[in-house]
Formats: sequence, C-alpha cells, structure tokens
Amino acid sequence: MTNPFDAVRAATIDPDETGGARTTFAHMPIGEAVDMGHADDGTPLIDPRIFDSSEFRRNPYPYYRILREHYPVFHDRLHNCYYVTRYRDIAAGYFDEVGFNTIPKGSSSGVLGNTQLELSGIEHRRRRNIYGRHLVGAALTKRLPALRQLARDLIEQWWEPDNPKGVEFDGNTVVIELGRCFANEFPISVVAQVLGIPQDAREQFTWWYDAMMSGLGGSDTHHDGLVARADLEHYVASLVGQRRTEPTYLYDDAGEQICMDIISELCHAEIDGDVMSTEEITSFVALVVGGGGETTRGAIMNLWYLLLQHPEQYAVVIEDPDLWRPAFHEMLRHSTSIGGQPRHNTFDVEMHGIVIPAGSLMHMVDVSANHDDSVFAEPERFDIFRSDLYSDKILRSGHDKDGRSSHMAFGVGPHLCPGAWISEQESVIGSQVLSEVFRNVRIEVERMPKDLDGAALAPIGLGSIRELWLRFDVAER
Amino acid sequence: MTDLRYAEHDDEPLPAAGYRTYEVYQRERVAESSNLLAPRELIGDEMLTAPYRLLTILREHHPCYRDWVGNRFWITRYDDVTSILTDDANYESRSKRWFAGRPDLGRDLGAELPVLWAQANRIDAHVVPIVERMIDDLDDESGGKPDLASAFAARLPLELWGAVLDLPGADLPGFAARYWRMQRGCGWDPRAQRDGWAAAEELARYLEPLVDRRRVEPGDDLISAAVRVELDDGPVAAADIVATIWEADHETLHGGLANMWFQLLTNPEQLEGVRHDRRLVKFAWLETMRHSPPVHNAARFARHEVERFGRLLPAGALLQCSAAAANRDPRVFADPDAFLVERDDLCQREPRGQYRADGLPSGIALGLGRPSVHPAVPKDRPRSTYALVRDVAVQASRMLLDAHPGIRVAERSEPVLRSLRLGEMFACWRLPVEW
Repeated sequence: MTNPFDAVRAATIDPDETGGARTTFAHMPIGEAVDMGHADDGTPLIDPRIFDSSEFRRNPYPYYRILREHYPVFHDRLHNCYYVTRYRDIAAGYFDEVGFNTIPKGSSSGVLGNTQLELSGIEHRRRRNIYGRHLVGAALTKRLPALRQLARDLIEQWWEPDNPKGVEFDGNTVVIELGRCFANEFPISVVAQVLGIPQDAREQFTWWYDAMMSGLGGSDTHHDGLVARADLEHYVASLVGQRRTEPTYLYDDAGEQICMDIISELCHAEIDGDVMSTEEITSFVALVVGGGGETTRGAIMNLWYLLLQHPEQYAVVIEDPDLWRPAFHEMLRHSTSIGGQPRHNTFDVEMHGIVIPAGSLMHMVDVSANHDDSVFAEPERFDIFRSDLYSDKILRSGHDKDGRSSHMAFGVGPHLCPGAWISEQESVIGSQVLSEVFRNVRIEVERMPKDLDGAALAPIGLGSIRELWLRFDVAER
Repeated sequence: MTDLRYAEHDDEPLPAAGYRTYEVYQRERVAESSNLLAPRELIGDEMLTAPYRLLTILREHHPCYRDWVGNRFWITRYDDVTSILTDDANYESRSKRWFAGRPDLGRDLGAELPVLWAQANRIDAHVVPIVERMIDDLDDESGGKPDLASAFAARLPLELWGAVLDLPGADLPGFAARYWRMQRGCGWDPRAQRDGWAAAEELARYLEPLVDRRRVEPGDDLISAAVRVELDDGPVAAADIVATIWEADHETLHGGLANMWFQLLTNPEQLEGVRHDRRLVKFAWLETMRHSPPVHNAARFARHEVERFGRLLPAGALLQCSAAAANRDPRVFADPDAFLVERDDLCQREPRGQYRADGLPSGIALGLGRPSVHPAVPKDRPRSTYALVRDVAVQASRMLLDAHPGIRVAERSEPVLRSLRLGEMFACWRLPVEW
C-alpha cells in the first residue's frame, strides 16, 4: 500500500518549484512581455518579482500594458502596495487631495527630509508659494537671457586649451559625451543660481544629489544617502547663517534685481508667524536640487537620444526652433525619468472591483498613464507631431479634452511639478543653443551602450540614459 | 509661455478627515538606516533557507525596522510582538481569503460553538486509529526509508480534516490535493493564487452534495454542525465550509510535527531524554513551537495612527510580526538558538490571556491564534485550538515513538528546514528515517 497523499507529497518535496522571492526573468524583445503564466481564461498573470528585475527597468511598457488592460488596480502582495496604471484613474487621484493623500509615510525615506511632497492642503500651499514664483512667470522670464548665457558659457569650455570636458577632435569632426559636456552641469548650474548657492559649490552639490537620489529608502545605499543629507545640511546651515543677515539677489541681464534667491527668500519668509528652521530649509534645498537637477539632465539626454534616432523629426526641429517645445513634451510623454508618485487612500475605496483598505500605498504610475492608448494612439511611437498630445502652456489643471491630453510627467493638480516651467525652458533653450553648434550631428553608435543583441542602441526603459556620445562636424567659429 | 496665475493658489481645500501634519511622522530628524543589511535581502533567498542571521540583525539593532522594499515595519522582539498580537484595539488581522484576493468567498464559521465542538470531538475520536494506520503505512514505504515529513507530518492534518468532515476514504487524496493548493494560494505568487481559487471552487463543488446530504441526514461531523448554524444572511452553503477550513488551516500541526521530529532526530541527546520519559514529548512540542515555529510571520495592520516603538505608525501600516525572531529573543530566553526539551525558562502549560503563564513566556505559535481569553475552559466550549493541536501532536508522536523506539535519521540524508516559497511555512519537507 502506498501513501494516499502522493499529490500533496509531490507539492511538498519539490522546493525548486518556484524558487525564491528573487528570480531572474528572461530578457525579451522590446515591447514583448515575458510569459508569467496565464489564468484559465487566458488572462496573463503578473509575477510581482518582475518589478525588481532588470528586464522590467529596460522594457517596462508591455508589463504596464498588461496592468492597464487586465489589472487597472493591481495588488502587489510581495511589496504590499497597489499600482494604478490608467491615465484617467491617476489624474482623478491627483486631483482628489483629500481621498488620496500624500502622507506617504516618508516617500523620500528621510533622505530628502520633510519636503512638501509629503504635505497636503494648507501646509503644502503656504510653503510652495514661497518659492514657487521663482520658477515661473515674470521671475523666470526675466532670467531667460541669463539661462541662455549659462548654456553658451558651458559650450565655450569645450574649446578651452586644457580641454576640461574631454572633447575629442577627429579630423573635421568632434566627438563629445553630452552628459559630461553639457547636460550634467547645465541644470544644476541653473538650480544653483536660483537657489543662491555659490557656483563653486556646484560640483559638491552634484555629488550630494547623486548620493541622495541613489540612496532613497529601499536601495542598498540608503545609509550613504542619509550621510549625504547630513553633509548637505551642514553646508546649508552655514549658508543660512549668512543669508539670514545678508540676503542675496537674482539679477536680470540689465543688472536689475529681480528678487531674492530662494535660500534668502526662505531665510526671511514667515510661515504661520514663524521663520523657517534650518532643517526645513535644507529639505527645501534637497528637494529643489533633486527635482531641478537630475530630472532636467535626464530630459535633455533623452530628448537628444530620441530625436537623433528619428532624424526626419530632428530635421524639422532644427528648421523651426519653436518645435523644441512639442519635442520636449513628446519626449516626456514617451520616456519620462520619474516613474510615478505614491499616494495613500484616506478611506476604504473600491476601484475596478478591488476594495483597497484605508492607508494602503498606491503607486500612481505616470509612465503608464503616458502610454495609455485610450489617450495616446500608438503610445510606444515617438512622434513630436502627434495630435493627441497637449503641449501648450503647462496647466496646473492639466488638459484632457478635444482629443488632446497633457502628459503625466509633471503630474496634475495641487502637486503639479513646480519646476515644470523652468525645466521646459532649460531643455528648450539648452537644446536650441546646442543645435546652433551641432552641424550634421549623429549618435556615435560604437560608443553607446547596446541592447542585449549587441547591435541595437539600448532602450531608455525606466529613467534616463547615462551617457550620449555624439559626433558632429566642426562649425566655423 | 508661462503664466503667473499658476503660481497662485486661490482655493485651499480642507485637509482630509483626520489629517495629521507630516511632521508628526518625523520622530527622527534623519531616518533610520542600516549598513548591516539591505532591505532587498528581506525578500532574498537567504530568508527561505536561513533567515535567522537577518532576523537577529533586525531584533538587536532595528526592533521596529521600516522596510522600504516590502512597505512594512518588522517587529522582532518578544515583548513587542506579543503586545501587538494581543492588542485588537489598535491592530487588525486580515483573513487568509483577503490575502488570497478572495475576501468574499464564503463565511468563516470557525467561531461557531457547534462547529468547534464537532471539530474537537471528531479529532479526539479518530486520532488514534488514524495514527495507527499511518504508522502501519510507514512500515510499507518503498525502499524501507519512510519519509516522516510527507508520510507522517503532512498527512496527519489532512487525515484529520477527512475525519472532521467525515469524507469517504476514497475521496481523501483528491480533497487533500485541493486543500493544499488552496492554502498555497494565500501568498504573493499569482500562479499559486489562481490555482488556489480554482481549488477552492473545486472543493466547493465537491462539498455541495455532502452539504445537501447532511441537511437531511445529520451526523456528528463538522458539516452537519455547520448546516445547523443559523446565519443572518442565508443558510450555510458549501462555500462557507470551504472558507471555514481555509481559515482554520493545517500549518502548525503539519510544520510543527515535521520540525519537532527534525529537531529530535538531529539532536540525538534530546531524543534520548524523550525516549526515556514520554512526559517530555509535550515539552519537546512546546520547545519546537518556540525554537522552530513553522509559521514565521503574522501581518497586523494599524487600525488607526498608533504611537509605538518611538514611532508614529500611520493608519493602515503593515506590521510584520516575526515569531521566528521573537522566539529567539535573548532578553526572554537563555541560549535561545539551542533546542532544549527541558528548558526551564519556557512556560510548560497553555498560557491564557497573554503569552505568559507561571511568570514564564511561551513560544509564539502564530498558527494557533493568540492565547485564549478564557481564564479556564468554559463548560460550553471545547478546549482551545492551542490545546487541541498540542494534544494531537503529542499523541501521534508518542505512538510513533512506541512503535519505533530506535527511530533515527536515514543514513546519508541531510534534512534541512526551509520555506518552499517566501512567506510560506518554514519546515522540514524531507525527513527520511530508519529504525
């Protein structure tokens, strides 16, 4: 007689059946999802381990397509969170500041500190208003010439005798790495100016910034992120000491004062009858450095990477510099470097038949909203002329009517990225200035990271590309 | 191009009900972090096979560790874990069916007294013949190397379910396979989840005629007791039986038996003591519940904002209460990593109301629920699940020891404890023996 529980025994003695919680997923052709199994009715299944995989970072969109189609609210029980992936669900969530609050139990995990990302309502508004106006409207318009000059100054360094940017000369052509030569430094210089950080501290800031952003909670380098934060705070404290007594100002190109720089402004602003603490100011600085540096760097890099892979579109843009703006917005729709924002539902809610208990972590996946084909036709196609993307004046209320919708890279509603306008200007002006220098520019394919086949250029995936090698003909100077 | 209008905020919506300023969450100016472990390790393979290194780091350095990857707080000290498990006012548990994504499948009748009586009575009446049969079958195992883990520990709780539900013997293997698939559907793996749903539906279909029959031909089994229970929202159906057995599960008896025999067989000096004094089998069971509990973690969710552990835990926060870590807390147990049947700092009876009795802590055995709130077993209630499972495990193990006093690990086999999948029970899955 044999044990009547053979079926159970088979299940209990095959420890390799599913392996551990971490697994390796096969890399797939771009646009195709790895097979994670199917339900009886054919519904593809999503293995939550995919979200930690390199395959997902490289090739996220087919997975988000599955989520949008089959699991508009996906309960990831391994990471204890819910993913919201459809454009209109996300927009509705962003506008509903009461139902989906931003107390994310510390999305910045103590690295950025107590930032306004995590405030709601009146607390959020009062702080945002202090510096929001530096990044928009007249204060920004008056500074555009300075911004253009900053870009030109950076390019001038390419030709300096000691070659600080590592420019390579090859006959009548020049090879540069766009990050090192321009994109890494330009946004942080702009941010440093607006904040009122001495220019000589820029490099240090870049380092702090990198350490902090790569050291957010959940990463292996969280501790390093916190150390960087402590260093930054030490430095900002010394700045604050000076600015409390001697504020510094931003000037337009005629030398007229526009307004105090942001740090000086924060040093003198009163909220609820009290000046802001050094701690609060540091968190502001961390957020603005983070929000204004890396994101715009990624924007410039991705924009050039995509445009140069679509030379027919690039050809039109250099003929009509006004097209840089739609190109910038299409790039953000196609490949934004910020994946999404966390929210927590204040009350129990039911979405698409899923009951979500109050206080759950809900990831609003902006990247997926931007590829929602109920909003953007053929979303994986990069097309600066697409008629369904709204790319006029950036609106806090967003735009989603008459067949044109704003992308979700800046979000919408009360937490719309306050740096949206300045980032647009930096990317557009910076790219215009670059295009004046570039003759017959093309990607230096041999130097670029390749996809798995070793031939095609690596896809952007989630985030932004780290390096972009370009070759162009020497212009007459 | 740009517009000042958007920098101004005319309307200021009211904050959400119960809104707290974020600052109250910032008890530490700069957040806690650790160079001692990376949070991704907590879902790594080491947690499947050897979780105690990481759990010790958490318990000794970060007793309320915020895990940013798994979005949870790890609670790892004994007194902290027990304080959460006994605090219904502040923390809630969620059903197995909720974790399986099927919260509305059936109604759990596990708190109904007639159901509890039927379960206890049927188990008490059938445990001896079942174990006798299993021991007989062990002798017949092919190759003469019976596997205690699958043929004894895994089998007993399923046989008992067969007895409790009064299933025809021939149906038992089919029932067992589906029951097992259903239980494995409560984790994070989507394939297992779908498989669990299918198994639960198959079980409901299978049980339907049995339920109908017990309405007209009542017996002393659980189904008969269940159909007599009157619920406000309609008569008891097969899905309710499925929900009830799903929530009741089998894990502590299965994993506890496997782990106890693993510990006894791999610590021969401890086995020697038990062999000479059968009274010690019970203490071996209690020590197993402490040293090697099969269910490592329990999830509790903060019902509302709670200030504890120097933190403000937001409403909805997941607290991962680790029995594995807490049961080896050196603040509570001396030499906690040693398996000692005659340990004198472990409670030797069922604790009531809290996790201590006689001033001594007991092992946290998550699968058995928390200690009974009744100071003594009330006349109208059967004894607790804690006592029922302990008695079954002790009875079965004594019988096995009587039948095979010379039992030992089979030569050239190296049994280990492990989880098959992250979050599933930590147990011995292969334990070949000889005598």
